[in-house]
Amino acid sequence: MKTYKKLLSSVLWLAAALIIWEAAAYILRDVICDPLAAKKVPGLLEIGASFLQNSVELMRQAGVTMSYAAAGFALGASVGIILGLAMSISGLCEKMILPYLLASQMIPIIGLAPIILGLFKDIAVSRVVIAAYITFFPVSVNFLSGLKASEENLKSMMRVYAADKCRLYSKLLVPNALPYLFSGLKISAPMAVTAAVLVDTLSSKDGIGYVIVFTLYGGGTTGQFWPAVIIAALLGLLSFLIISAAEYILIPWKRQKEEVRK
Amino acid sequence: MTENAVEIKNLSMEYFDKERNPRRVLDNVSLNIRKGEFISLLGPSGCGKTTLLRIIADLQKPTSGSVRLAGQNTKEARLSHKFGMVFQTPALLEWRSVLENVELPLELRKVPKKERRERALEQIKTVDLKGYENSYPRELSGGMQQRVGIARALAAEPEILLMDEPFSALDEFTKERLHGDLLRIWRSTNKTVIFVTHNISEAVYLSDRVCVLSANPARLAAVEEIHLPRPREDAVLKTEEYFKTVSHIREIFEEKYNENI
Ligand SMILES: Nc1ncnc2c1ncn2[C@@H]1O[C@H](COP(=O)(O)OP(=O)(O)OP(=O)(O)O)[C@@H](O)[C@H]1O
Ligand SMILES: [Mg+2]
Repeated sequence: MKTYKKLLSSVLWLAAALIIWEAAAYILRDVICDPLAAKKVPGLLEIGASFLQNSVELMRQAGVTMSYAAAGFALGASVGIILGLAMSISGLCEKMILPYLLASQMIPIIGLAPIILGLFKDIAVSRVVIAAYITFFPVSVNFLSGLKASEENLKSMMRVYAADKCRLYSKLLVPNALPYLFSGLKISAPMAVTAAVLVDTLSSKDGIGYVIVFTLYGGGTTGQFWPAVIIAALLGLLSFLIISAAEYILIPWKRQKEEVRK
Repeated sequence: MTENAVEIKNLSMEYFDKERNPRRVLDNVSLNIRKGEFISLLGPSGCGKTTLLRIIADLQKPTSGSVRLAGQNTKEARLSHKFGMVFQTPALLEWRSVLENVELPLELRKVPKKERRERALEQIKTVDLKGYENSYPRELSGGMQQRVGIARALAAEPEILLMDEPFSALDEFTKERLHGDLLRIWRSTNKTVIFVTHNISEAVYLSDRVCVLSANPARLAAVEEIHLPRPREDAVLKTEEYFKTVSHIREIFEEKYNENI
């Protein structure tokens, strides 16, 4: 019943959005008679047609962006996990790292991207580095708070059975932190994709972000603009779904608890 | 001569409150516990029972005084697996099955896989959970979870079993069954049991001796020998002797309480 209502609400929102879009396209084209109407807000049919026409090329470009995002995400997640572990193991480490970690997030990515590009002089490397930069912070901070979240009673239990630090981590703290780790990964995955798209727009010669700017500033088939934007948005969603699926598989004990609660 | 399993000497514990003033929780507690004895620590909520048990288990340090277990200090005893502990809550790992939870102490002692499986299965049978080896904690009732906690403590085959109000969250029926199980296990394995409770009749029914703790700070108000016959069956619960002992200990509490006013 609940899922049915949820589904219905999504369908209604989608329908409303499509109707407003089509109305806007009609007004621009036939009422205001804007000569650039087809470029600004093309009709839904035109978008659909362009989508089909360019689907192979769009998918190829999407694949390029996705693979850079994935590489950066994997790198950032690894760094985040290592930092989280290090800060949890050593209080000194936490005091030394955490303030700079927080400071690093004050730099807006828009400002950082050109700097990194200038530093590495290579668009491919920059895309990976920026996606990684975006990823590591939510991962490390969430993982760290997960590592600290074990019940006092369970820690006492491990101590009574004389668990050393290594086993304390592998048998209690890390498994207990997995749900926290995954909430960090779910936050950062779409952000890594967004970052990769953003860097595409800077000076690259491929990727879905490149298609967006290229078609926006003339050249190429204008009809590709909106399909490319939609695909860029879907890529973020896709990355989120992939992480959620991994979570579902890897943390069965949380999954079934929620099923029972329903 | 009977050896002492646990020797508690002049133990005191102070916590510091928010204004950094010391607050005495345990005051000069001394007690010798014989090998193979079933002893209860009885006292009202918040009097310091868990604190005392945690000090014995090397989970916290006393302000002064000492505890020795079979000739070792608490840390040595913990590292050589002299004791097991059943907590006030089951304290199970939710990502491990019943079997894996019971195996945990053996795993930490690096017991080979085959042997630890056998020993865990045996303890699961002891607490009547056969058929639930592969269930997860969330699929079990509170009483069953508590029994998994007991099986885990038994699996390591410790000489001394520390139990912190293991049954206080359970209903009467489950509790009575577990009392029976516990006495049966205790009789057949000859362990020393230190059993914390705030329930007078439970303490009397199970124990060889009952230590009555006063509150604020906890002192050893009285140590009572319980002369009910062994092995104890449910029938004991209806005897005159049992009622007398329970009322006697209740009177000790009332005295203590009146003193405090
Ligand atoms: N870490 C701590 N810091 C400060 N005070 C504490 C701490 N742990 C316990 N206390 C205090 O010590 C007293 C005894 O606590 P303890 O947990 O030993 O009681 P208890 O007898 O086990 O009670 P219960 O039957 O409710 O479990 C309590 O008044 C509590 O407020
Ligand atoms: Mg307690």
